[in-house]
Amino acid sequence: MRGYVLKKVGWSIGTLLFVVVFNFFLFRLLPGDPIGLYTRGRNMSPEQLIRLRQQLNRPVGEQFVEYLANPFASAINSTRFNRPVWEIIGERVWPTVLLVGTAVLVAALAGVWLGIRSGWRRGSRFDRITTGTTNTLYAMPEFWVGMMLIMWLPFFPSGGINSVGVSGFFATAADTLWHMVLPVTALAIVYLAEYTSIMRASLVDELRQDYLTLARAKGLREDLVRRRHAVPNALLPTMTLIFLNLGFVIGGAITVEYVFSWPGLGLLTAEALRGPDIPLLQAVFLLFSLGVIVFTLLADLLYAVLDPRVSTQ
Amino acid sequence: MHHFVIRALTFALAGGLLSTPLSPTPAAPKVTFTIGIQSDVDSTNPFTGIVVEAYETYALMYDYLTTSSAKDVSPQPSLAESYSEAPDKKSWTYKIRAGVKWSDGQPLTARDAAYTFNRIIDGDFEQTNYGNYVANIDKAEATDDTTLVLHVKQPTPIMERLAVPILPEHVWKDVDGKAVKSYANEPENGQPVVGSGPFQLVERRKGQYLRFAANKNYWQGAPKFDELVFRVFTNADAEAQALVRGEIDFAYDLQSNVFNSLKDKPGVTTRSSEYSGFNEIAFNTGAALADGTPIGDGHEALKNKQVRLAISHAIDRQTLVDRVLNGHGSPGDTFIPPVYPLLHHTPAAPQNFDLAKANQLLDAAGYAKKADGTRFALRLFARQESQDSQSTAEFVKSWLKEIGIDVTVKVMSEDTLTEVIGQGDYDMFEWGWVVEPDPDYQMSVFTCGKRSYKDGDAIYADLSDSFYCNPAYDELYEQQAGETDQAKRAELAKRMQQMVHDDAAYAITYYYNDLVAYRSDRWTGFTPQPDPDGSLLFQYGVHSYLTMAPVTATEKPQAASSSGVNGALIGGIVAGVVVLAGAAFLVTRRRSSASADDRE
Repeated sequence: MRGYVLKKVGWSIGTLLFVVVFNFFLFRLLPGDPIGLYTRGRNMSPEQLIRLRQQLNRPVGEQFVEYLANPFASAINSTRFNRPVWEIIGERVWPTVLLVGTAVLVAALAGVWLGIRSGWRRGSRFDRITTGTTNTLYAMPEFWVGMMLIMWLPFFPSGGINSVGVSGFFATAADTLWHMVLPVTALAIVYLAEYTSIMRASLVDELRQDYLTLARAKGLREDLVRRRHAVPNALLPTMTLIFLNLGFVIGGAITVEYVFSWPGLGLLTAEALRGPDIPLLQAVFLLFSLGVIVFTLLADLLYAVLDPRVSTQ
Repeated sequence: MHHFVIRALTFALAGGLLSTPLSPTPAAPKVTFTIGIQSDVDSTNPFTGIVVEAYETYALMYDYLTTSSAKDVSPQPSLAESYSEAPDKKSWTYKIRAGVKWSDGQPLTARDAAYTFNRIIDGDFEQTNYGNYVANIDKAEATDDTTLVLHVKQPTPIMERLAVPILPEHVWKDVDGKAVKSYANEPENGQPVVGSGPFQLVERRKGQYLRFAANKNYWQGAPKFDELVFRVFTNADAEAQALVRGEIDFAYDLQSNVFNSLKDKPGVTTRSSEYSGFNEIAFNTGAALADGTPIGDGHEALKNKQVRLAISHAIDRQTLVDRVLNGHGSPGDTFIPPVYPLLHHTPAAPQNFDLAKANQLLDAAGYAKKADGTRFALRLFARQESQDSQSTAEFVKSWLKEIGIDVTVKVMSEDTLTEVIGQGDYDMFEWGWVVEPDPDYQMSVFTCGKRSYKDGDAIYADLSDSFYCNPAYDELYEQQAGETDQAKRAELAKRMQQMVHDDAAYAITYYYNDLVAYRSDRWTGFTPQPDPDGSLLFQYGVHSYLTMAPVTATEKPQAASSSGVNGALIGGIVAGVVVLAGAAFLVTRRRSSASADDRE
């Protein structure tokens, strides 16, 4: 077990180092003049321009060392917001975690439930309807679903996290919840199919296993056979999927945030790309990679806990 | 279990009731005007922000020495009730209005104005946004509380157009040159940002909205409503939906398809206003550094003025306006748009769409048609970010084919294009400019000195993107830069426009309109700038904000927005109840089935 953990952690650190290095050089290979971008439209004096350029014209090695010291800081500010990039990202993380986290949770709970139901009675009408519906929803683009929801459900707000002028903790919380309904729905119904089909497939695999026959022979009710024996074994792949998806939570749902004017990281990325705001993009990319690496590691470790066979292989 | 749910709900309801307008407060409901914007204000610190939405907030929060008139955008006194140039042309004296107060009650005096200008003159970061305005000012001095004197190095007309917000010294003196870089200038501990303009910033949620309270003591008169909200939308369709539903009152910066979808909506008026921007096909007239060293790989033929004129004659501007802009604009000719009636020049001999003449010009210039009907080939770069740019390029390609010029259209990002232009590695490209009320910046674009420059081994772009260089033009530019008589300067500006037009550095394609929609069933009294076809909001100055008013006082135009808040509250509680009830259901079910399992 310890060897397994060390190996996995080692791999993650290796990947992380690669990403950090790659991220640095990738953005230095891009064409364009970042200082030109920063100063476009500003009434800036030429001497100031030259000083800024000198900062970027230092030897690459020197810049790399500085970058390694704190990869999220940058020699210059975000070109679009004119503030340190990590400060901007900090305030954008929570809306995204709230939105996508809730959506993943809702989709996972509903998806697992639907998957168990339809997998246990494979081929039933419920199964056919569920599979058909979730697959259809899966095929729909998120932004389109979002737009349709805005148009069909005019009772809900068309975007944002809060109404103007709402104050007080409970009122703000209620208001936020109210604003979350549409975007969470849009994301969750698209995510749903993944969980439903994985859960269904893995449960179907378990259906013919001997231990289920044994459980029935013990005289357990069908319900208990499913809940106590089949489902725990079938949950493994779904757990992995949930954790992998949590890794992408930080990446956000660019299109849904865009449709609902949700000021999260996804939107920030879209705005940064429009510039392009290279210092900001660099930090955002790093953060996204970090999210995926950390949660993949967690999934690996959790897998070993749930299924001891994994770590002994 | 159930008790918990009930208790939680009681708390939620009680908390909600106590902290929102549902509670019985007798105060009159606030009249709020909400504007939908598609780009968040990047910073409310006037030394930092750069987007047009940010400059609008500065205009709302602060006063300026002068403003631009609503009628024709000419300079007009504002915080300075009068101003004059000294007879020796070495200084300008501004008479600051007496009795103006900052929102915290402190008096606004000429000392605040002097502080603001000196801070920029002596500053480093402070120069980023306003450096050009003070480049010619030696120092600012307040001789008494109502007199500001700006000492200038040489005479310049910019002194009537100093778009520098006057800041309160007693607030900003605590923000030093280093702190100013990251100073947010946002409300703190519920205290609004100290300003003197018609509105005060009271709340800011980044990426969501900015809320302003009307300054009831504003020296030009109190605005006719209580609150102003800028709400950020990242998507024009959602913004349009919000307007139709009444969540917002004004939708700014619409695309033409969204604009058209709003045309027949009840209560909504769409408006296509004249705007200060133009687009052009720019030519590489012979790329060179400012010192004359040739650079780039532009086509030889374009150095010939007759060839550029021929191409300009081959562009059907009316078709571009009809098909690319869907009619929301007008054909272009010179580089100061007609939205500035005092400065715009209409050339006597416009470059009309005339293929025969274009062919004739090319023949005369020595570029005869070859056997296959072509003369030569050119590249035309369009911008990835703009569908209009790409459509224009395709139209131009088809017209130039008619006169034997084989055009290859290439689409690239604006960032890449900027780089390419700076190096001179192009023949033609499609882009545009937005022209400020003071035309100096725009006129400088065509001077020899604004061509690219070399720093070390690298070549960097300056403002010039046609590499136009004409000593006669430069002479006029120098002359206007020192001309403080507005009428004489306008005359010079017109001659400069005629020159660039005749030499065809650009083939100006169109002046585009600014598309907005607003709730005319609720709001009235906007002041267009310029009169009568100009913009309603996002002007040079704050004219509309001071004149617009709710349609009738008896009708409660704010009903929708306040019910929106209550609706959201009720909705949020309902959603909360559903979630909690769902959780309760699951838990109880698990409990009962667990006990069933235990029994088994």
